[in-house]
Formats: sequence, C-alpha cells, structure tokens
Amino acid sequence: MEKLRNRTTITQFQAQDTLHITDKQFRHERELAEAAIQHERELAALPNQQTVDYPSFKLVIVGDGGTGKTTFVKRHLTGEFEKKYEPTIGVEVHPLDFFTNCGKIRFYCWDTAGQEKFGGLRDGYYIHGQCAIIMFYVTARLTYKNVPTWHRDLCRVCENIPIVLCGNKVDVKNRQVKAKQVTFHRKKNLQYYEISAKSNYNFEKPFLYLARKLAGDGNLHFVESPALAPPEVQIDLTAQAQHERELAEAAIQPLPDDDDEVFE
Amino acid sequence: MDDLEKAILISFDESGAVDSALKAQAVGYCRQIKETPSICSICIERLCFSKLVQVQFWCLQCLHEVLRVRYSSMGVEEKSFIRKSVFSLACYESIDDKNLVRVLDGPAFIKNKLAQVMVTLIYFEYPMIWPSVFVDFLSNLSKGVVVIDMFCRVLNALDEEVISLDYPRSQGEVAVAGQIKDAMRQQCISQVVRAWYDILLMYRNSDPDLCCSVLDSMRRYVSWIDIGLIANDAFVGLLFELMLVSGFPCQLRGAAAGSIHAVAAKRMDPKAKLTLLQSLQIKKVFGLVAEDNDIEFVSSVASLLTGYSTEVLECLKRLNSEDGKAVPTELLNEVLPSVFYVMQNCEIDETFSIVQFLSGYVGTLKSLAPLTETQSLHVGQILEVIRSQIRFDPAYRNNLDVLDKLGKEEEDRMTEFRKDLFVLLRSVGRVAPDATQIFIRNSLASAVASNVDVDVEEIEAALSLLYAFGESLSDETMKTGNGLLGELIPKLLSTKFPCHNNRLVALIYLETVTRYMKFFQENTEYIPLVLSAFLDERGIHHPNSNVSRRASYLFMRIVKLLKAKLVPYIETILQSLQDTVAQFTTIYAASKELSGCEDGSHIFEAIGLLIGMEDVPLEKQSEYLTALLTPLCQQVEAMLLNAKTQNPEESPEKIRNIQQIIMAINALSKGFSERLVTASRPAIGLMFKQTLDVLLRILIIYPKLEPLRCKVTSFIHRMVDILGSSVFPYLPKALEQLLAESEPKELAGFLLLLNQLICKFNTGVGDILEEVYPAIASRVFNILPRDAFPTGPGSNTEEIRELQELQRTFYTFLHVIATHDLSSVFLASKSRAYLDPMMQLILHASCNHKDILVRKACVQIFVRLIKDWCASPYGEEKVPGFRSFVVEAFATNCCLYSVLDKSFEFRDANTLVLFGEIVLAQKVMFEKFGNDFLVHFVSKSFQSAHCPQDLAEQYCQKLQGNDIKALKSFYQSLIENLRRQQNGSLVFR
Repeated sequence: MEKLRNRTTITQFQAQDTLHITDKQFRHERELAEAAIQHERELAALPNQQTVDYPSFKLVIVGDGGTGKTTFVKRHLTGEFEKKYEPTIGVEVHPLDFFTNCGKIRFYCWDTAGQEKFGGLRDGYYIHGQCAIIMFYVTARLTYKNVPTWHRDLCRVCENIPIVLCGNKVDVKNRQVKAKQVTFHRKKNLQYYEISAKSNYNFEKPFLYLARKLAGDGNLHFVESPALAPPEVQIDLTAQAQHERELAEAAIQPLPDDDDEVFE
Repeated sequence: MDDLEKAILISFDESGAVDSALKAQAVGYCRQIKETPSICSICIERLCFSKLVQVQFWCLQCLHEVLRVRYSSMGVEEKSFIRKSVFSLACYESIDDKNLVRVLDGPAFIKNKLAQVMVTLIYFEYPMIWPSVFVDFLSNLSKGVVVIDMFCRVLNALDEEVISLDYPRSQGEVAVAGQIKDAMRQQCISQVVRAWYDILLMYRNSDPDLCCSVLDSMRRYVSWIDIGLIANDAFVGLLFELMLVSGFPCQLRGAAAGSIHAVAAKRMDPKAKLTLLQSLQIKKVFGLVAEDNDIEFVSSVASLLTGYSTEVLECLKRLNSEDGKAVPTELLNEVLPSVFYVMQNCEIDETFSIVQFLSGYVGTLKSLAPLTETQSLHVGQILEVIRSQIRFDPAYRNNLDVLDKLGKEEEDRMTEFRKDLFVLLRSVGRVAPDATQIFIRNSLASAVASNVDVDVEEIEAALSLLYAFGESLSDETMKTGNGLLGELIPKLLSTKFPCHNNRLVALIYLETVTRYMKFFQENTEYIPLVLSAFLDERGIHHPNSNVSRRASYLFMRIVKLLKAKLVPYIETILQSLQDTVAQFTTIYAASKELSGCEDGSHIFEAIGLLIGMEDVPLEKQSEYLTALLTPLCQQVEAMLLNAKTQNPEESPEKIRNIQQIIMAINALSKGFSERLVTASRPAIGLMFKQTLDVLLRILIIYPKLEPLRCKVTSFIHRMVDILGSSVFPYLPKALEQLLAESEPKELAGFLLLLNQLICKFNTGVGDILEEVYPAIASRVFNILPRDAFPTGPGSNTEEIRELQELQRTFYTFLHVIATHDLSSVFLASKSRAYLDPMMQLILHASCNHKDILVRKACVQIFVRLIKDWCASPYGEEKVPGFRSFVVEAFATNCCLYSVLDKSFEFRDANTLVLFGEIVLAQKVMFEKFGNDFLVHFVSKSFQSAHCPQDLAEQYCQKLQGNDIKALKSFYQSLIENLRRQQNGSLVFR
C-alpha cells in the first residue's frame, strides 16, 4: 500500500513536470521565433540567402587559414549537401540544420576560408552575424596568438554576439597549445571547446552552446544527432585523456619505489 | 544608384540569387575603383550621400585599407582633406550643404568602422601632425549623446587597435603606442577623465548604455594613466554609487564594478597600493553577492572581490615588516568570508581565479605559523569549499555508474576540474595537517553515518579527499600512521558502504586503500582487513567488471609491496581467487572486450609473486604451481588436439582464449626468479620447461596467427629470463618456427628476442645465431627497400612505419652482434653472401640516416669490425677487401663528407656524440692501417675537399698524439673551416 501511494505521487509529479516543460517549451519556441523574425528584419536591410520557415541564424566562422574551419562545417552532411559555393569570392555559406527540443533550427555558417589575408570582403562578411566560432589549431601556437585579433575584428562588426572559441585538432599528440594555456576565453567571456574536426569529437558542442544562447534557454538540447561524415581518424580521446591524466599525476608523484609504475 | 553602389550591393549578396558572372563583374569593378588615385574622395563623397549600409561599410573599409597601405605616399592636401572629412563625420557635422546622410545615424558596426578609420589617422598623425585631435573632439561632446558615443568608440578602438598588449604587435607599433600614450598623458588625459566624470553624472539615469561605454573606456585606460585622476573621493564615490544603487540597470552596475576592479589591479608600489585598496571601502560590496541579483552582475562583483583579494595578498607578500603586514591581513580577513560565500553559493565562472587566489593565500600562511584563530577558521572554510566543489552532481549518478557517453564526459570534466582543487587541498594539508585530517575524518564519518539517505556523491567526495591528501604524505608519516591516520585507515578498511556497488565509490575506495598501503608494512595486524577489502565484493569480486579488473591490478601492487608479510595467508588468498582464476581463461571471458593493460591478468601476476617466494616450502610451491599450470596446459593441449581435426579457420574466441592462457602463464612466471628456478629448485624449472614445450606447439599448429606468435614470443622472453641457459635446447626449433613467413612487424619482434638472447648469453648463443643469421639476413634484405623510404604526403602509412621499425631493429641487432664479440657470425660460410649488402647498408646509414642515434650505432659497428677483423697495419687480411672498403668508402663518405654537410649540426647534443664516434673511428683506422689510412684520407679525401696543406699536417700530428679530446676539437674546427671556405656547397658530392 505504502509503495503504491508512493508511485502515485511520482506519477503526479511527472505529470506536472511535463506540463511545466510544455509551458517552458512554448515560451522558448516563441523566443526562438522572435529572434528569427528579428533576423528577417535585419536581412531585409541586407538581402541574404533564401529563408526557411523555421528559425535561422547567421554564424560566422573565423580563424587563421588552415585551422580546419572548412573541415569542421563539412562534417555536417546535410549542410555539405546543400551548401552554396561562390568560387569568385571564396566565402562558403553552409546551411546546417539541428533538431532541438524546441523544434528545428538552422545555422547559416559563413566559412570565410582562404580569404583571411587578401581579396574578398573580409570583415564585410561578418555584417549581421548573430553568433560566431573562432577556430585555432592546438598544434600551431601562432593560430592561438592571433585569436584576440580575430575576436576584435569580429566584435567591431558584431557587437555582443555569443562566440565560441574552438581549439581544433586535439586528436594529435604533439600539442603546442595545452588546454591550461588557453585563457583568452576567460578574459572575454567566451565559451571554449576542444574539438577534433576529423574525428567529430565535440562537433555538436559549439552549436548547442550558441543555440542555447540565442534562444535564451540554458536547457535547450538537441533531440537527434545530425548526420556526420564518418570520422577520418579514430582516436580514443578518453584513452588520451586518461593518458594525460596519468602523465600529470606521474609528474607530481614521488618516484615509485619499485619498477611497477613502468608497466602501468 | 550609380554603378559603384550597384557593384557593391551585388558583391555583398550571398543569397545565391545573383548570377555568378555578374557577381564576378561587380567584384572586378569594385577592385578597379579601389585602384583609382582619387579613391579617398570617392569614398568620402559616398559616405555623405549613400544610405546603403553596404556602401558605407565598403567605403570605410576602403579608406582604412588605403590609409594603411598608402599613407606615406599621399600628398599633404589629400591627407588634410581626409583628416577634416573623417573628423567631421565623427563629430556629426555636414561636410558641405548638400550632405544629406550622416554616418553616425547608421548602425553600430558602421560607427565602429568609422572609429577604426579615425584610429588609423591617430596612429599616423598624433601628436606630430594632428596634435589637437582629442582636444577638438572633447569640445564637440556638448553636441550630445551621438558624439559622446562616437568619442567612446574611438577611445575603445584606440585601445584595441594600438595600445592594448592583448594583441600581437610589431616593435614599431609598440613604439607608436608609447608615443601616443606619452602625449595624451601630457596633453589631454585629465580633460578626458573630467569628461568621463561629467558624462556619467549627467547621463547615469537617462542613458545607461552610454555610461557603460564610458566605463568600458575607463577600465581600459586606468592601467596607464595617473591613478589619482580616478582614485579620488569624487570619482570613486560616483563609481560605488553606480554599482551599489539597485535602481541602476544591472549592466551599468556591472560595468562600474569592472572599473573599480581595474583601479584595484593598477600596478603600483605596494605601500601606495595598500593605501589605495584601503580607500576603496570594499566592505560596501559584500552585500551584493548575497542579494538576489542578476547573474552577470554577480559575476562582475565576484571577479572584483577576487581581484581585490589577490591584490591585497600581493601587498601582504611584498611588505615585509610586521607593521606592514597588519593592514593587509586585516583587509583579507574582511574580504575572505565574501569570497567563500561566492565560491559556495554563486554559480559563476570565477572558480578558477578564486582557487588560484586561495592557493596563494594558503602559500603565505606557511610562513605565518602558528595560525591565528581567524586563519584557522579560514583554513576550515577552504576545506569546506573544496569538498563542496569536488562533489559530482547526483543528476549524473546513473551515467557515471554505467559510464555512458555523458558519464565519461562528466568524469573527465570533473577530473580536470579537481586538479587545482586537490593541489589546494595538499597545500592546506601542509599548512594545517591536523585540521585537514580532522576535516577528512569528519567528512568520512558523516558520509558513513548517512546510510539512511544514501549519498553516493558525498561518500565519493570524502574518499577522494582522503585519496588526494595521501599524495603529499611522506613515507614516514604513511608507515607510522601519524596523527589521525592510524585511526582513519583502519576505519576505512572495516567499512562497507551501502552504495559500494557504485562504480565510482568502489574505485576510489580501492585506490585510497592502495595509496596508504605503506601503513600496513608496519601495522601488519590490519593485513586480514586489507585482504578482504580486495578479495570480497568490494574488490575483485565486485559485480562491475571495470572495478574488479582495476582491483586485480591494485591487488598485485599491494602484493608486490607486502608479499613477505603475506606468506601465512597464501592458502586463503588462493582459495578466494579460485573462481576468478578459472573465469579468466574461459571462452566466455575471452569474448569480452579487453581494455589495454587492465586485462585482468594481473591476478596471475599477484599469485605468481606470492607462490614464487622462497619462503614457500618446495612441496607447497610445486603443489600450487601444478594446480595452476596443469589445467591451463591441458586446456591448450585439448584445443591443439581439436584444431588438427577441425577447420583451419579457427574461431576468434578460441584464439583469444589461447592468448588469455598464455598471458596468464606469462604473468604467473613473473613471480619466479632465475636463481630459484635453475639453482635452488630445479623441479620448479622443470615445470616451466614442460609448459614451454606445450606452448611452443602452438606455433606448429597455428603457424600464421600473428597474435598467437606475438604472445608466444613474449613467453619465450620470460623463459629466457628465468630458465637461463637451460632454455637453449628449445631455441632452434622455436626460432625456426617464428622466423618462417614472418611479416615485418613479427620479424622486428623476433630480432628483439635475439637481442635479448645475445645480451644475456653473449658468445654462448654464437652457434644458434650462426644458424639463424643467414635466414634473417635474407628476409630482411628482401623486405627492406633498397633506397630511402619515401617522404611527403601519403608515405605515412602503417606498412612503411612497420618497415622503418624493422630497419631500426635490424641496426640494433647488428650493433648488438658486433658489440658482443660475435662478429664472426657475419663471416660464417653460409652468411658470407650477405656480408656485402650488410656493409653497404650500414655504410649508407652511417652517412645518411635521419636518426642520429642510428648513425652512431652504425659507426660503432664499423669501429668494432675494424678492431675484430684487422690485426695490425701490415698483417694478413682476415676479410679480403674489407680494409680497402673501410679506407675508401667509410672513411671518405662517413668520416669526412657526411660531417662536412651543413645538416650535420654541431650544436645538437646527439650529433656531437656521433661526431665523437666518428673521430674515434679515425683513430682506430690509423692504429690499424697506419700510413695506408693517412695516404688515402689526408692526401686524397682532404684534397678533394680543398683542405689547406697546413691544416692537413696539423691533423696528422693530432691523430698521432694521445689526446682524443684535442683531436676531436681540432677536427671540428677543421670541418667548420672547410665549410666556410666552400660556403656550404659541396662540389664533389
């Protein structure tokens, strides 16, 4: 009897919970829609790509040449399929769709590959950007050194947009920029993720963060994974993390009193 | 709309609606316009008339670019025109009457772009050409919000584009920034600050955005302007008002907090700094974090508090007098409770800097012992903070237990997050060891007591504290169980948590017991408790296989340390491990996924360590060993027997099963020493020999299965180690089997086995080696490519890596042969055919191999062979042709030309060692060949390198002397001399 009563309470609680979520979800759908309408208005001032009937956002990806920006956006297969290519200008716009608990959303990813130094519209591409990703390679220190400059140039054109900093290529062993050395995001209030474009590691994280910020809902989540290109490198990142952890532990531990540690 | 405007619009269009040819045309047109000499006036004109943001943006971008690239080549008039026009735009003026559009009415990014152009002008013209820019701007501020806003944008852009050290800048740019700062400090900064003050006062209620912008500029400039301008009653009072009065918008309040933070962080002499910090009245801020404020604002306040505390701490460290320390100590005592509050109650991203600060604080306490009451209180609170921060979120309990994707992420995140906190814990432990131990004991006690409401996370956190704390303890403390340890550890051992089936709890429990294992060395009465912790369902019999495997490994470590004390318990241990042992070698276990080193075979190693001790009587020992080995061997034999009749395509489970068995036996054998097995108890040796017999048959039945070969090879390695020379009779057959049809990777493994044999038995394995060498050489020369390995893209394949590995191992093999008095092997009649290719290979490697260590090994091989095969200058030739090969090919190519090459880097330590070997080789050649060597090396080779006569003569002298060091340094200078003379180009190569 006691058990049964307990169960009723749980069911009741769950029912309430569902209601609550629906209400919240409704609110967030509305917010998303409003954000999108705002976007449409801005687009009216600056004609842009054709629109879809669900919320869409312009996402700008910047970073030194060769840091894997293009590889990164191309992991998303539907986006790759639909992307438009403008060879003369060299900006590629990839529409990437994600399915959230509040409905489908689209990021138009403006990938300014190869145009960093010359030609093109440079920071002109950032106009009306609503969110951004700054990319660097953890294997090339210089690409991290240039992150502040990319950030500045971005913020000049897009004030107060959510930005994610991505350290790419964490699948390699000879890192030059260690996770500890990445501090820029703290100064500027950015989100930082380590990713590996080639192995799909953390692919969704930046998009999820940006979607949450744009929707103003910290609990928004993706309900299904986008189709990703199969990983090109199979790196056991957990093993690597474990490895690094052990290395770190080893560094602070006193020397072992027997040869045992060698085999660990 | 004119053509340029149209072209700009089209080139900005990324909708895909524009025909690509048209777009290309538009882009080309814009580019062309950019090249016209009057481009600046074209842009300025457009900026006065066009309402299209794309056009405005393009024009400003273009102006910026032209200024950056062409400024120095512009005429005075053009510069003056640009200066006047841009300034008018920035001050919201009309350039002339027809001017309809004002840039400042446009969106923010257009104004920022204009600010960038202004800053470019300031970069080139202030203070020399345009000294009045700031003063002029200030006089325009009265026009209102639009101009003030633009003024702030210019100041902020000046910071970002020119002054701030956060961006990479050239030396020239840094110098310009210095000049600008100096001029501003002298000329106008006090006016600017005055303007800030007035703007804040005037607009704080009506225009918070504008005020935020002003505060942002201020925050940036504080670091290099006279602090007195801001740090005065009036200004600081205003800043506090903006931050404290709840009527102001949160953003403005946060910006004010940011400015005060910048004031507190200003670099100053510690005494002056302390006065400043004291004057800041930080007390007033404390309440803000407790109120229900906006999270962003709380975050700004939190970072102000942390920043302030860090600065006070810095003063405390730098002021040495007793008096000097009193004030900062007092200030710290005042601010610390708020810092703890923030850490425990506010979900903000300040943890990192707070932990850094706390570590610094604890660091200073070290020199202050004994601690005051307040400081002890702080220490307690820091411990409390650590405990609350390292707790997992119960929401992930299940994910962490089954270790799914989310669980793994959370575990990794926490491991990373805990690192700094544990460092902090250990420093607290050093400063206040007793308090820390009491705290951990209480945490553990309350965790244990909480079985009503089982709190997995609390228990896990308490155990993790004990684990992390142990890392800093000395061996002595561990052994004696000083302080509370003597109470804590037994308590831990006798505890079974209600949630012990949780993966995390079980793991940290075992890790913690293992960390304190030295305690049991002295306190042997607890050994039964330790054993049951590992042997019951808390350890090896835990339902979660991750836990039980880890337990096996940790148990092995415990056994290694305590084995001498475990003799009385062997029977019990073996009994309780019976099922685990049996399970390991069943087909079922083999089919499960094995994770790297934690495959579970450690349990056999542990058993081996126990029963392999000499303290165990012989009868017992052979009884135990038989009980373990016999069933395993029988299992293998049965499988081998079936294999013959069955399909040759063996099931993968069965193969894995055999692998498991070999691994088990291998691990078991690690506990037995060579002395015991060969000398004192040959009966035990016999048992291993019988096992070897059985396992070698695997090679015959499954000749081509790489994983099995690999496992059997490692078993032979083990047997070589413990059976000593009694392993010889088994070798010919085994080696023949292993060599047959071996792939590059297996062949490399095979060579390693031979290296082990040679290093252990030296010439003792001469006959065996003579037997196998021809087959090895034939295989290696067949497999390895004749030329260098390909480089560049696509060459980094697994196959090529394996071949490179084989090549490297082969060089080591040749080196090991040569340096263990076995060079006669190369001369045996069956090996003779491979002598020439072998010599060519090591000659080539000694000159060109990209790995310097390989080159060194090859040179050493030559030195050995010369010593072995060339008796005296005029003696009989043992190996016909060898002497001339060495003198002509090796001496010239390796000892001279390869060294002359610029890639031979004398500053590299390894290369320098190689160079030493090369010089030694010359000495040896001279000793063995006398004038033959000199004639060839000096007269021919040196001459071809255009070596001056006097240097050549000096060389001969040094070579004949006894000082090898002098010879080496002389030869280096000679080479450097020749290099300079040839300017790096080697005509003779």
